[in-house]
Amino acid sequence: MKMNRRQVLWAGGAMGATALLAACTSGSGDTAAEPASADDKPKRGGTLRVGALGRAGAITRDPHGSQANESDYLVIALVHDTLTVPGAKPNTLPRLAASWEPSADLTTWKFKLAKGAAFHDGSPVTADDVVWSLRRLRNTPSGASRLPGIKPENIKAEGADTVVLVSDHPNAELPLLTRLTTFVLKKDTADDALDKAPGTGPFKLDWYRGGNARLVRNDSWYAGTVHLDAIEVTMFETPQAMANALLAGQIDVASNAGAVAARTAEARRDIQVLRRPDDMAMPIVMRTAAGSPFADPRVREAMRLVVDRDAMVKQVLSGYGTVANDILGTGDPHYAKDVPQRRRDLEKAKKLLTEAGFDLSRTYDLVTTEDIPGLAESATLFANQAREAGVKVQVVKQESGAFWDKTWKTGDFYTTYWGTNDSVVFFASKTMVSQAATNEAGWADKDFDAAYLKVIGTADETARAAALKELQRIEFDRSGYLLWGMADGIDLATAKVRGLPKLPGYGRVQLENVWLR
Amino acid sequence: MAALSRPAPLPRRAAPLPRRAAAWPRRAAALAVEVAGAAARRALLLVVLLAVVFAAVEALPGDAATAAAERGESAADLAARRHLLGLDRPLWERFLEWMTALPTGDLGTSAQGRQVTELLADPFPNTLLLGASAFVLTVVLSLALGCWAAARPGRLTDRLIGHAATASFAVPEFVVSVLLLLVLSLWTGWLPAVTVTGADGAPASWAMLIMPVVALVIPQTGWNTRIVRGALADQTATPHVEAAVLDGLPTRQVLLRHALPGAVPAIATGIATSTGMLLGGAVVVETLFNYPGVGTVLAGAVAARDTPLIAGVVICAGAAISLVLLAADLLRARVVGARA
Repeated sequence: MKMNRRQVLWAGGAMGATALLAACTSGSGDTAAEPASADDKPKRGGTLRVGALGRAGAITRDPHGSQANESDYLVIALVHDTLTVPGAKPNTLPRLAASWEPSADLTTWKFKLAKGAAFHDGSPVTADDVVWSLRRLRNTPSGASRLPGIKPENIKAEGADTVVLVSDHPNAELPLLTRLTTFVLKKDTADDALDKAPGTGPFKLDWYRGGNARLVRNDSWYAGTVHLDAIEVTMFETPQAMANALLAGQIDVASNAGAVAARTAEARRDIQVLRRPDDMAMPIVMRTAAGSPFADPRVREAMRLVVDRDAMVKQVLSGYGTVANDILGTGDPHYAKDVPQRRRDLEKAKKLLTEAGFDLSRTYDLVTTEDIPGLAESATLFANQAREAGVKVQVVKQESGAFWDKTWKTGDFYTTYWGTNDSVVFFASKTMVSQAATNEAGWADKDFDAAYLKVIGTADETARAAALKELQRIEFDRSGYLLWGMADGIDLATAKVRGLPKLPGYGRVQLENVWLR
Repeated sequence: MAALSRPAPLPRRAAPLPRRAAAWPRRAAALAVEVAGAAARRALLLVVLLAVVFAAVEALPGDAATAAAERGESAADLAARRHLLGLDRPLWERFLEWMTALPTGDLGTSAQGRQVTELLADPFPNTLLLGASAFVLTVVLSLALGCWAAARPGRLTDRLIGHAATASFAVPEFVVSVLLLLVLSLWTGWLPAVTVTGADGAPASWAMLIMPVVALVIPQTGWNTRIVRGALADQTATPHVEAAVLDGLPTRQVLLRHALPGAVPAIATGIATSTGMLLGGAVVVETLFNYPGVGTVLAGAVAARDTPLIAGVVICAGAAISLVLLAADLLRARVVGARA
């Protein structure tokens, strides 16, 4: 029964998309969107109506809980501030923490709080509030993975405006950990008072109900000038309904609407399609451990030579993406752009497979899910491409719950996806160091581990950059990943909206600079 | 189960003959017992259904803890999460706890730690509004169309209505929805494409209800028109209706006064089964129009393996359907009883 419903919804989605396409090509008389000029001066005022994805059953108001809904995360991120926020270059920018300083051994980090930072009720933010909030975060079930290496008792206040984090090991990239989830609440906020707890963010909560919310400007925000009077957030279960709402003029921005909606909207001149590159990685994981057909690095290399990356980006992502080079963390300012781009080479691939004694008579299962758009399609297209090299690949679609329970981290050959892609070190620590909790390919490489330790233990910028290059080179050569491309994050907006977020991943919630013409 | 018995209905006529009056208390009591029995059977069925729901979610791979977990959580973190959600206790214990809390109006806590009653407080009335509007419209339309067709047996109108009814029943809700969206919103701009809600949790404008209701009504009207038409056809063949026709009574009077009453049991049963289909269709329609009802809650709850939330939706929907079925049973019993 469940599968049927799922299929029905999928079919409905597809039909909706086709219908929309028809609707748009026949649309006429739309006013042209004026090109954004650099000297456009932000105007104050107006209400922005934003659509974001979410499900009514999964709504949460806990800034330190697991936010399954993009809509909830959006509301939380606009009302509460984190210590640091994602940036383009560097990838970590100040927010509630104005500056930070490591000790010489890179274990102790001191964060100085921004001057004038205050909660919406007027009371100033103290180091005690931050320490209490970080400890609360650390003590949730996800705490250890959100603040890895930092024990709750090693989060301390020093005076009124300094917070000290002590890591179990040297970590040159520690501030990176404080970007996405370190929302600060007032000390001793009760669990049942979270719904109305004052934050420090650019917007104050007016009301929240059933996933939808209205936020109003925080006139005394310490971190900048907010232009909008208010933001209204509407939750959508599907990108299709969200795109329809935008096309019908019911919302001004459809956040993370996806490639299908973008293709539809391209025909409408009154709608902006905003692409945020490096948003989503959908690599294929090849198990590297003994016993796996992909244990031999030559086989993994061959698979990476089999894939036609341009075709994948064109067909799986409808062109809304870029070709990648098997190194994860493509949005990192230190991403190794100088490693030569790997291209399709069937002859070399066949040669490598023969050398490695790869069994070409067998059919290999590539397990995938329909968790995110394009994922299952990427598996199917790869299977077709592999056939051209004589490798028989059969795509096995699993229901999401079954996949995460049974295949993830243990399967020989499966697709995965990651939504935070602006740090090479993040992926190394989470998925590739031999001890990593989510080592998806079961990869253990002494040289890689050594390179990683050198990166996070080196304070000198130049030396660290060199180590980071070495780490990426090893990853390129022999990791368990085949990363063919990166999907863009896509927002749709009406012509009057300006100053929309440009960063991938969680950067999509940075609406504090938005204004309306 | 005594609590489930309803007060005996008032006699239809205020001053019946003395002989019949003496029989009333006995008949009222018999009716009360019958209603209580029917209600008890339906309640028991709901309990069985809930047990199946609990077992089914348990049988699915993964659980609420793995569904809510973030990547990188260790086995210990997962165990802590499981403990927080009470998933480390046996299934029967969780089921029993949920069932015993039910009579107090407590539907448990969702996997995200929110009260299920709170999560359903807005969506359930919204779905009831959607379902009830669609139900009423379906009843009115299918009775009207069915009678209209029956009044002109074999003529063009009858055939047209018959074919249209079959066609509209064959078209699934999502096809109807997409067509409506396209024509009434995206092409013409007459109606809002999706439902948005205000601070009160209800749709911001009544116009947002039109398309979801129509999308539900069209297939169900097709189904029920055929039932009405069929039931009337059966009745027209009965001797008392034939006699009425031979008496030269106008067609309208024959249909409404003589044929329709006999057709009521069949029609009531048909329309009552529509309730389930309306609620099932609501899952699809709510998703397409972003209507904030239980359908959207249910879809997400299954993906999240959120047993208390799924059970909460099931008990609400189950209770609504049971009430309609019970009403249909009583209506049928009454009509059949009166004729016996």
